[in-house]
Amino acid sequence: MRPPIMPIPPRPSQYGIDPSLVKTRVAELPGMTSIGLKELFPDLPDVIYPSAEGVAAIRKATEESLKNVDMSKIKPEHSVNILAAHHGFTLLGGEPYAEMLKTIKDVIEARTGCKNIRLRAGVGLRFRETEEYIKRYGLDEYFNGKAIGVAPVDEGIAIETEVGTLYGIKKIYDADWIVHAHNSDVREVHFHRQVDRAVKPFGMAYARIETRSTYHQNLGPRAANFTARAIFDSPFVQSKFAFASFLTVAPNGIINVDSDNDLYALNDRVTQSGCKYYGKMMTLFGEIDECIAALDFPCPVVYVFSAGVIYANFAGANTDLYDLDIALPAYTWYTEAFYGKRGKPLLDDIPRVNKAIKMCVHNYAWTGYPSAFFSEHIPTIVVGQEQADLFNRDPQNLTYMKHAMVAEDTKAAMEFAYKVTGTKKVLIFDGAMGGINVSEPLAEFLLKKAPEVSKRVDEELLPKWLRQRGVIL
Amino acid sequence: MKIVNLLAVVDNEKCRGCRTCERVCPVLAIKMENRKAVVDNERCRGCANCEQRCPYYAITMVKREQPIAVKVDVTAVDYALIEDLCRKAKFNPEQIICYCTATRAEEVAAAILQGAKSPEEISFLTGVRTGCKVECIQPVLRLLEAADIKPEPPKGGWQWYGRTVTVWEIPEEVKRKYASRGFYFDEDIKILDRVANAPLQGRSDS
Repeated sequence: MRPPIMPIPPRPSQYGIDPSLVKTRVAELPGMTSIGLKELFPDLPDVIYPSAEGVAAIRKATEESLKNVDMSKIKPEHSVNILAAHHGFTLLGGEPYAEMLKTIKDVIEARTGCKNIRLRAGVGLRFRETEEYIKRYGLDEYFNGKAIGVAPVDEGIAIETEVGTLYGIKKIYDADWIVHAHNSDVREVHFHRQVDRAVKPFGMAYARIETRSTYHQNLGPRAANFTARAIFDSPFVQSKFAFASFLTVAPNGIINVDSDNDLYALNDRVTQSGCKYYGKMMTLFGEIDECIAALDFPCPVVYVFSAGVIYANFAGANTDLYDLDIALPAYTWYTEAFYGKRGKPLLDDIPRVNKAIKMCVHNYAWTGYPSAFFSEHIPTIVVGQEQADLFNRDPQNLTYMKHAMVAEDTKAAMEFAYKVTGTKKVLIFDGAMGGINVSEPLAEFLLKKAPEVSKRVDEELLPKWLRQRGVIL
Repeated sequence: MKIVNLLAVVDNEKCRGCRTCERVCPVLAIKMENRKAVVDNERCRGCANCEQRCPYYAITMVKREQPIAVKVDVTAVDYALIEDLCRKAKFNPEQIICYCTATRAEEVAAAILQGAKSPEEISFLTGVRTGCKVECIQPVLRLLEAADIKPEPPKGGWQWYGRTVTVWEIPEEVKRKYASRGFYFDEDIKILDRVANAPLQGRSDS
């Protein structure tokens, strides 16, 4: 068995505890190992990052991808907003996304003579998060002081769409042109269901509260992402849209950078790779019969990830998140909303949370996303009183600790989890690069199951998933 | 129900009177007086919107000595009226409409039936819109509309702008146009209708 991959260190943030308080990582404990993702799925693509070339590979790929992009509409006297979103900064340490943003700026400037290029970085539910990233990666200096974080409660702008008025953030659109700089990591597949993944930030990271609330409350679990398409297709947004650049990502790393004037063409490419590569990881994780899930990454509970699969999606891995014939995943906000007062779903056919997760050991994760559903439905033990206190200060998580217990240290938490659950299978959500950290029994289990999963996805599931989305390549 | 255990505190040395905090407060608890932000301690629901958006980092959230439990008593209203209002807005009364505070549609309906006439009043009374501050504006507006109330957004504020489309209102031509691209409008209407009309589990939170 291979040694574990050391995850990225804890980060200082107002949404997490002081990094010095994270004394032990779950991967350091006895019995842990790692699996290279190509050991599981040999057909995973080769990656340009992580690699010996470092972020220079990202700059090179970005420049190469932009060669075929038409920038003739951008004139020297114009202004350009490069639009970014927070999740890109949590991918593989964050530097690749920052480097892509810097390179886009440099190429626009060199090709068009335009100097008034700004960075507008949207957030999720942690309104200062991209401000932290802007400083961390020196983007404020790189963009000559014109890099800001924008939040969904900031001043809005009405956008007329074919389904009525929706609302964007004013500062997103206060330039002559916008460039959509994103990534293809599937991340919240429970929400977008890999439908218009490339368009989603127009209904989220670039949108006001009214639009986000439309997505999460008004349209239903499979129609929701139409909010993003409605905004993107609006005459107003189309009049400003210049092009899109994406870090294209697979579970094992960054494959390339993809840029296009046609966002829907890029969207189709992203849909195929998202369904194929992440679809295999999620289907494999859905095969796990029992395990302890260990959270150990600097982002909110739902977003901690293993091989590109976030904890929220593991909580729903007992359902096929890509199959649109299935109305509701076992976890999405629509599903959560449909639990009645007795703690059971209002309809018998609403799927329950993945029963394979026997316990969650919360070693390190941030606040800033409503997560009490997880501790309410999955036995959870939090390492350290400081983490518990942090949750009790978070307006979004005031009841998280109502359902969780506190352990003094990581070792004690894991020993307790082993004893109570009776399983030795551990899946660590620590964002390990290029592989996953697991316990030895789970490594054996996954290696045994992977070939059959790969065949099933290629031959049965992938054709169905793509057909449901109208994607034929 | 929401337990309010935080309070916004302004550093007058840092405050420059820009009004951002005033524009984003969902319960109108912070206002400019003599070009400085002033917090109404009793009204503050500890959401941290002001702290999170102040451009000058002039606001901090501190622990309250005495937390406040914010809740509208559902039993004080005829439950048949609550049920009617929720179902008219196409919600199950027990459906959660605020993920941070686990507030159910019935509580917001009860607030409206007891006289609340705006999202700001509803947030003050129930705590919705004071967790993540993002996701619950549309259910609140839908429930107010079902009660034939048309609130106006706070003047000059950024608290909210308007109600938006629901899946029941998507035009047929739009559904047809995007039918092959993975948008399951009619199928989602079916599940949302089934949830809205599902039997109740029980009236107590016990």
